[in-house]
This record gives sequence, C-alpha cells and structure tokens, in this order.
Amino acid sequence: MNIDPFLAWVESTALSQWVVGSPSMFAFPGILTLHAIGMGFAVGISAALDLRILGVAPNVPISELRRFLPVLWAGFWLNAVSGVLLLIGYPTKALTNPVFYLKLTLIGVAMVLLVRISRIVFFGRGGALAPPDPSISSRLRNLAIASLVCWTGAITAGRLLAYTYHRLTQLH
Amino acid sequence: MHDFQIWLVTTIGGRSAIADVMRTAWAWPIAESLHFLGLCLLIGGVGSFDLRLLGVGRRIPIAAMHRFIPWGLFGFAINIATGTLFILTEPDQYIYNPSFHFKLLFMTIGALNAATFYLTSYRRVFAPDAPLDAPKRAKVIAVISLCAWLGVITGGRLLTFYRPAACEGQQTALLLTCAP
Repeated sequence: MNIDPFLAWVESTALSQWVVGSPSMFAFPGILTLHAIGMGFAVGISAALDLRILGVAPNVPISELRRFLPVLWAGFWLNAVSGVLLLIGYPTKALTNPVFYLKLTLIGVAMVLLVRISRIVFFGRGGALAPPDPSISSRLRNLAIASLVCWTGAITAGRLLAYTYHRLTQLH
Repeated sequence: MHDFQIWLVTTIGGRSAIADVMRTAWAWPIAESLHFLGLCLLIGGVGSFDLRLLGVGRRIPIAAMHRFIPWGLFGFAINIATGTLFILTEPDQYIYNPSFHFKLLFMTIGALNAATFYLTSYRRVFAPDAPLDAPKRAKVIAVISLCAWLGVITGGRLLTFYRPAACEGQQTALLLTCAP
C-alpha cells in the first residue's frame, strides 16, 4: 500500500505547514517542549509508582499514590495531543520509520501495564496495602519492572527518531 | 563574561578522548536518551515531592514521600554527567547559546530553592508530629521548584532553535550569544 499521497496531503494542510514552517516559538519548538514536559510527568510518576512497588519509599501508602494519577494522565494526554501535532508536522518522517511504530508499541504496552498495575494496587483487593506491603506479589513486581523497561525503550526509540528517519518530507 | 566564555570554549575545544567517542554514530543518541530518562526520574522524584507539598496525595506523610527524592537526584546526576559530555564535545553550541544560559539560570534557581527548603522548612515538615498539610512557605518553595525544573526542560529543549551564529559587529549583551 502506497501511503505517499496521504502523507503529501497531510503535509499540504495549513496545520502541518504551521507546525513546521511558522517562525513562532509556540509552533514546532513550543510543541516539542510540551512533549518533553508531558513525558516528564507521565513517565516520571509512572516510574515513581513502579519504584514504590519495587520497595522504594516503603512508608508511602501505595493506594494513596492514586492521587497522582490525574497528573500522570494529564502528562499522557498532553503528549498525545502534542505528539499528534508533531506527527501532522512531519508525517513522512515518522510513518516511514519502523522505529516510530516501535515507540508507539512500547508506549501502548506501558499504558496497558499502568492500567493493570492501577487495577491491582488502587482498585483491587490489594488496594489497602499497608507498609511494609507483604502482599506485593511477584506478579506485581514483574509488571512494575516491565513498565520501567517499556518506558526506557519508548524514550530511547523516541530520541532515535531524530537519527533513524529515511525521508523527512515528501519533497526529500 | 565574553572573555570567560571564549576562554572556556577554547580551553574545552571539543578535543578529547571523550569528544572523539561522542562523535561516533551511537554515543550522542545514547547519551541523549539517558538525558531524557534522567529528566523523567528528576520529575518523578522531585516533581512528585513538590506536588505532595502542594497537597496532592495529602494523606501520604511528607517524610515518607521524601524517600523518592534520592531517585530524583539520581536522575539529575545522570543529566549532569550526560550534559557534561555534550558540552565537552560541542562547547560553542552551549556556551554561546542563550537558551543554555537560561537553562543554567533555572538550574541555579532550582538548586538554591531546594537548599532554601532544607534550611527553612525541613524541621517543621519532617517533625514526628508534623501536620499532613505542608506550611505555606514549603508550598511556595514547591511551586518555585516545579517552575524552575520546567524552565530547565524548556531551556534544554529550545537549545537547538537558538544555535549561535557567527558574530557580526559588537556584542553588547551581558553574555555572548554568537560564535566569535
């Protein structure tokens, strides 16, 4: 399937040309900055939850960490929106690079893991885990380790996008 | 300050075994990836503690939440290390870059602000009978901390859009923002 006509159409839209071509710092540079900030909160808080499961900050009642979930999700949605804008800006660069699909897959798996971890520690029978949490199962630990691995992979893949693309735009 | 910047760039010169390694195909991207991971640990450790001071998860004892701070500092240490690698390799791209000047300014604010927390609020916040609600002063410090570190991220992310061009004419600003 040739997606070039579709990519060319996206690149021809006013939004795409604003993202890429506007001299405003609120266009491409600003979107990129929001993408880094959203990452900090989404991954940072998810990692803090994972670390808590793995034994860090043992006196933090784990169920209370659910109060941080809205901040995590705000970071996630900030990145979903800013990510879509960056994708609209450079659709060819992203969609013709296998590393981009790897990044999306890793983020998808990380979010599935987050939901599964949340169900266990916030909304499940283990919700009232008290220190020192003897009830943190090895399965939960494995989910936390997998979450950290996925975020590390997603960030690395994201950074590599700047180095591994084959075509920047349809013109190139 | 101009002379100091020029001296710094000349002295570092981007000529070292480290710079040679950083110029190999994978070293720079790997260091960047680590820099972003460090960023996440910093926000996850320090940022979540700031949020706790501001009342998020207010049933979590502040002293218990503070145990995440070493992981934030670990992330910060990763970023100091990887950031140093970047500067050692391309000194002019940072030392003449206004975005980097702002990044350093926000880092200094973040560090001094953290020191202020430990000097002024630590005892009250960490006393065995401390209330779950942080004192107002600690909340102000938390807001400054979050703003400072978001400023650091912004300064870092915008570096590439303020790359210094070759100097033309006399520079009158406090810091040199072009390559002589």
